[in-house]
Order: sequence, then C-alpha cells, then structure tokens
Amino acid sequence: MSLRPALLLACALAFATTAHAAPSDEERLRARLSPEVADRVLVVVRSASDQGLPTRGLVARALEGESRHAPAAAILDAVARQASALSAARRALGPGARDAEIEAGAAALLGGVPEDTLTSLRHVRTSGSLVIPLVVLADLVARGVPTPQASETVLAATRAGAGDPELLRMRERVNQRITKGEAPPGATREGLRELLLRTPWEQRRPPPGGSAKGNSP
Amino acid sequence: MDEDELWTREVRDEYARPVPGEPDARARLLSRVRHERAAGIASRVLRVSPLAAAAAIAIALGLGAAGGVAWMKSCTPDSGHASGPIVRTDPGRTTVTFVFRAPGASRVALVGDFNEWDPEATPLRRAALGDAWTADVALHDGLHVYAFVIDGREWSPDPSAPLAPESSYGRRNSVVVVGEGNAL
Repeated sequence: MSLRPALLLACALAFATTAHAAPSDEERLRARLSPEVADRVLVVVRSASDQGLPTRGLVARALEGESRHAPAAAILDAVARQASALSAARRALGPGARDAEIEAGAAALLGGVPEDTLTSLRHVRTSGSLVIPLVVLADLVARGVPTPQASETVLAATRAGAGDPELLRMRERVNQRITKGEAPPGATREGLRELLLRTPWEQRRPPPGGSAKGNSP
Repeated sequence: MDEDELWTREVRDEYARPVPGEPDARARLLSRVRHERAAGIASRVLRVSPLAAAAAIAIALGLGAAGGVAWMKSCTPDSGHASGPIVRTDPGRTTVTFVFRAPGASRVALVGDFNEWDPEATPLRRAALGDAWTADVALHDGLHVYAFVIDGREWSPDPSAPLAPESSYGRRNSVVVVGEGNAL
C-alpha cells in the first residue's frame, strides 16, 4: 500500500518530464517529412551522431527542404552532402574543434573552399575561435570571389593579427564595393589592403619562423 | 409743499450727492481693466485655424520621428561596424533583432534553423514608419542560418548579413553567429 503513492508520484514526474522535453530529432523529422524520407534522413543523422558530429544542422537542412517544397531526392542529397562536409571539416580543423567551428567549416567546404585552407587557418589562429574567419571566407566565396583568392585573403588577414571585428569590417567593405558594381576580385584586394593598413604593427602576429616587423614595407 | 413732495425731494437730493470714494479705487479699477484686456489678447493668440493646427502636428510628428530614429541608431550596440542582425546579450538570454526592408510587402516572416524553417512560426512586425519589418528572437549560442519569406512565397537572404555559400534548394541563406563576443 505504501508503494502506491510513490509509484503515482514517479509516473507523474515521468509524464511531466516527457511533456516538457523538447521534441527529439526523430519526432521533428517525422512530423514534417514522409515516413520514407524521414527514415533515410535519420540514418544519416544517427551516423553523424555516432561520429560525434553536430546533428542540428542536418535536421534543419531536411526541414528547410520541406519548407521550400523541395523534392525528396534533393532533400536527401542536401543532407548527405552536409554530413560529408561536417566530417571533412572536423578532420581539417582537428578533434578539438567546437560544434560552431565544424558547422562554419562545413559551410565553407560546401562553397568550394579546400580542406587545406581550414587546416591553415587553424595553424594561424591556434587559440581563438575560427567561426568568424570561416563565416567571412564563406561569404566572400558566395559573393563571387574566386575560392583561392578568398582563402588567401582571410588567411593573410588572420596571419596579420586581424581580430573578428576587423574581419567583419573587411567583409562589409568588400560587400559594399561589390554592391556598387566593382568586380569581386578587385573589391577583395582593396578590402584586404585597407585592413592591413588599419591593423597596427604591434597587433600583428609574427609569421611562423619570422618577425612581423621584418616584413614591414 | 406737502409731505409727499418733501420726501421725494430728499430722496432725489440723496441720489444726487457725490459718493466719497477711496483714494486708490480708480487705480485698482484701471489695473483690473488692463488685466482683463491682456487675458483676452492671450486667448485670441492661442486660437488657431484647423489647417495651422494640422501643420503644427505634422511638424511635431516629423521632429519626433527624426528624434526616434536618431535614438534608435544611438542604441544599436554594433553601430561601430556590423550591419545585419543586432545581437543583445543579457544574463542567461541572447536576443537577436532581425530587420528587413520590404517595400510593398503585406507580410514578412523569418525562417531558420531555430524555428524549423516554418514560415508561420515567426512573423515580423511592420515598423511604425517606413518599410522596415522587425522581429526579436531568443537564440542559443552558435551558428544560425536563416532567410526571410515575403508574402508567403518569395524567399530572400538578409542583404546586410553574411551569406551561406551553399544553395541546395535554389536560393542562398544568411548567417548569424551568437556567442562569439557578439561579433556578428
């Protein structure tokens, strides 16, 4: 008899916990996708989860496809490519990369940035976050800057010691120039030049094996 | 002269007798007259035509709007460099204000990985002046991808924010980063 109230309380607590828990990835996918598509997306999501990769973007990519009325094949293709990019980004950035860095790196890779660039960025900025440099890099590529030039620009700016605010200012200036009709490569060259002129020498990091002041013009 | 005629004469003489006044009575009377005249003039100055009143109200509204815009600009935390969404971090909560200009739109919605890309989930409010639409959304730290949906059919990235390079579904999205020192 004394167990009955305790059992009821446990059931009530379990119900309350379930009722307030956020819906799982599976519940969210099954609520919006057909059973076949949801099953196939879930296979990819579980595989990524087993590898320790962030899965939030995979579920979101599938739901975005449904909202945009994309065909099932396009949704499955987008989710598979995103999972592959997440895996490659973690490989390029190293096992210590945070989820946001892996997601930003995956976006850059999907835009055509080579894995080497991500690895180089990690070597240049060893202690700070790479999210903003990767977002700026992906944005330059999305605006039509050739991938090698975009990679070199962000690497050079980061190597010169530019922080996140400086990188974002450069992105904005390049964007303004492109919007006014300037060609993306020229706008990017000018944006990098302005950034380097405004970055004080004391703030610049020495390149590996050398002194920053030794490179001054 | 009979008694009645005598009484009438006394009354008439009494009425005709000058009343002894106070020495400053005239001064007080003139002062009161001047005061009432001044009050009458003041009330006439405040009486304006409806057209003039409408013009005055319009000017006051314009000045108020200009002041409001200047105040909003001064309150923008990232006014130094960043365009795009405005990130405000309070203890235990990060709120992002999304702003989108859509001339002629009847409704604008925000879609992204934070609301299941549901066009019904986060409608934007039309600002009182101009063609700007805004929405405040609480976001977790990390990278978020989003877009705007105009009138339920046209998807558009945020022109003021970084672009996501991938466009699997035909149109690019925008990116906002929360928790990286509010850099973006």
